[in-house]
Amino acid sequence: MSGIERPDDFESRRGHLRKLSDAELHAYFWELADKIVEPLIEEARTHTTPSIERSVLLRMGFSSFEANALVDKMKMLGLLGRGAGHLILKVATAKNLSARAAGEALLGGHYWEVLSA
Amino acid sequence: MKLSPDQKLDIREVLKDLASYQPKRKGWIWRQPMTNHEVGPFILKDTSKNLINSVPLPAAHAFENMDPQCAVVVTTEIASGRFEDDLRRMRMVAWHGADHIMVIRTTGQSHIDGLIEGTPEGVGGIPITRKQIRATRKALDAIEEEVGRPINFHSYVSGRAGPEMAVLFVEEGVNGAHQDPQYNILYRDINMHRSFVDAAEAKKILADGAILQLDGAHNANATAKEAWKVTPELFVQHAINSACSRAVGMKKSFIALSTVPPMAPPAPKMRLDLTYAVALREVFEGYTFRAQQNTRYMETDTMETTVTHVLDTLISRLTPTNIQSTITPDEGRNIPWHYNNVAGVNTARQTFMGLDGLDDLVTLREEGKWREEARNLKERAVLFLEEILKGGGYFSAVAAGQFVDSGFFPERKGDGIVRFPDKGDDADTVVLRASDYGAPVCSHFGNNIYASENGKACHAYGGCTLCDPSKIQYIDEVDLEDNVETRLNKPLADRDAGLLSPEVEKHADGVVCVTIFVPDSPEIAEAAAIEMAKHMGLGSPEVISRRVMHPAEGSVFEIKGVLQMKINKHELSLPVIEQPLPDKEIEAWVRPRRLHIVGATVGEDEHSVGLHEILDIKHGGIEKYGFLCHDLGTSITIERLLDAAMEYQARAILISTIVTHAHVHEQHMRRLHELATQRGVRDRLVLLAGGTQVTDELARECGMDGGFGRGTTGRDVASFLVRSLRPKEVK
Repeated sequence: MSGIERPDDFESRRGHLRKLSDAELHAYFWELADKIVEPLIEEARTHTTPSIERSVLLRMGFSSFEANALVDKMKMLGLLGRGAGHLILKVATAKNLSARAAGEALLGGHYWEVLSA
Repeated sequence: MKLSPDQKLDIREVLKDLASYQPKRKGWIWRQPMTNHEVGPFILKDTSKNLINSVPLPAAHAFENMDPQCAVVVTTEIASGRFEDDLRRMRMVAWHGADHIMVIRTTGQSHIDGLIEGTPEGVGGIPITRKQIRATRKALDAIEEEVGRPINFHSYVSGRAGPEMAVLFVEEGVNGAHQDPQYNILYRDINMHRSFVDAAEAKKILADGAILQLDGAHNANATAKEAWKVTPELFVQHAINSACSRAVGMKKSFIALSTVPPMAPPAPKMRLDLTYAVALREVFEGYTFRAQQNTRYMETDTMETTVTHVLDTLISRLTPTNIQSTITPDEGRNIPWHYNNVAGVNTARQTFMGLDGLDDLVTLREEGKWREEARNLKERAVLFLEEILKGGGYFSAVAAGQFVDSGFFPERKGDGIVRFPDKGDDADTVVLRASDYGAPVCSHFGNNIYASENGKACHAYGGCTLCDPSKIQYIDEVDLEDNVETRLNKPLADRDAGLLSPEVEKHADGVVCVTIFVPDSPEIAEAAAIEMAKHMGLGSPEVISRRVMHPAEGSVFEIKGVLQMKINKHELSLPVIEQPLPDKEIEAWVRPRRLHIVGATVGEDEHSVGLHEILDIKHGGIEKYGFLCHDLGTSITIERLLDAAMEYQARAILISTIVTHAHVHEQHMRRLHELATQRGVRDRLVLLAGGTQVTDELARECGMDGGFGRGTTGRDVASFLVRSLRPKEVK
């Protein structure tokens, strides 16, 4: 599918912009740009992705292999919306483990029942 | 790790103990500008601190070997596929003034969902992994100490693993990164929801890590059908990425617009490009500008490319630019070669230094048609933004093909790139955060139950890797074959054996380039040139550039080919070049000793100019150091020379043999040695011969202590005499 075709009708479209000073034009430019990104940023604020969750686990001291395995399984179980790091801390609290040990236990297939509860 | 200018970079040392290596600093770093800076014989306006070690521009020898450094950061992009070869190239470019080194990723890395580990070889770039980054940063940490200026290391936070890349970069001391979700969408067809959600997290990590962010707008220049018509859209692409970055907390000064002058001669480049550059900088006041050089209109002629890039750099100089990126002049014909990275960097620094103080001479006119054209570009960009909103927002606009259309907006040709919000790689991987969503780490963007707690989000378990780097998990190698240790066996064995091969990119690749002009029509000339290259012994010869001089009179070709050979450096015989002693040292030793020297032009030879220049004080000869010289004149016999030497109790005899026929000069030298020996004075005397046909090697063969050829100065001879006589005195 292709986009629309249109001749260069700049002169007929620019009427409302001509009266603006340069400073006003710049301000209007940024007002429009901010308006365009607003919903994109809102989606980012309220959503997550496998890569974000893996990046959280990297920051918690897990290797890329460990982060991949944990996030894949959480995604499969539909748990990602709670946050991978949060889930690991839940297991750590429930089983009185360090965060690292909780992650290792999950990698070993243990304690997933804590999370589905 | 410490480098020495006369030693090659030890890659084994770079790879040693990487598991525990930590970068010595983090975040982007600028040059320290210096104005009214005395460099060589000049006071310069637009410079930064000099380097400790560098290779100056070729003409510098005429100006006290000055090597001024411009005020802006200079970038080069390096990507051979093997990072271990790239490290050597990084060291070379640093010596030529680059302080922003960008590593291109291997083809396809943006489509990999997650991080790569180990050190596999890449294609058209390197796989960015923790080990490769860490090794590179370690090498750069040493290189920056060698040259005396911090070096910014840079790569890409795009593709399907942006947030992970961003974490990796902050942890490992990467200083700059490309991050622009529009690049993912338009050029990599990665799902647009995924791209923006990932981008917000990645940008937050980069912002907190003080990493300078570059956007991806320059790609629209490179891919546009007519590059100058995409300029209104470029304002928009820059704005969308910039607005997103600010929304997650990135400071304007860390948001760098990647902007390219779109045109090249014979088009009226300056008129179009400068207008656009000024308009862009006015709308984006307060942001940082990374000026890239043109690639869209690059052909295979490196001279043509260089001229275009000089003009690009002039545009940078006339507008505020913080970073000057360079493109290698050979990028239009192959993956850049070592020395072309250096050539690109030199194009920028040579231009900047030549333009020193330009602001005192030139200002841009405030009035005129170009000003109206600048305004028109801004209005066209505003119309572009209005159309995005009218059509339902960014995602709808991309789906409607509004981006990278070849029309000059609001003109539309209907050939834009079309992507759909529910399509592309990783569609449907974006997940709504639950009400109890949490991410117990620093530098996280968006809703997070840990963020509202007092103190750091990572407090519950003692700190994340951004607070406590000791928690970083280092993975070494994962592939037993495809890794740097295996690849290094051959280069290191060659190096130990002293074997050398030609190289442009990777160790011993054997690639050489020859220039051949053939005086015939282009087709015939090209076929002949290839045959000639084959006769030179070049494997797989390939014409990489051709230029017609005249349709009938001839064409010139640059031909690359492979020369499969190794030279053992230990078997090379090198002329021993000894630096002469300083004048003061020579005179201090000679003058108090009142040493007599006898000289003559021997045999049937009436040419005495050479000897005069060596002896005579008026010609800068050795008399000035205090030698007592006795020039016996021309056509002197060896016997008379020795008589005189004994009479004066001379310590040296200098003979000049300028006209040589039938090896008579060799006979003179041999006779002098033999006669001195017979008379029992050989040990006391230093015997020297000079002349245009004399070499040191030949003179020594004929029994002399040394020989001096063309270009010899009195200081060379005096220095040799002191070095010969001084040890005898100690005995």
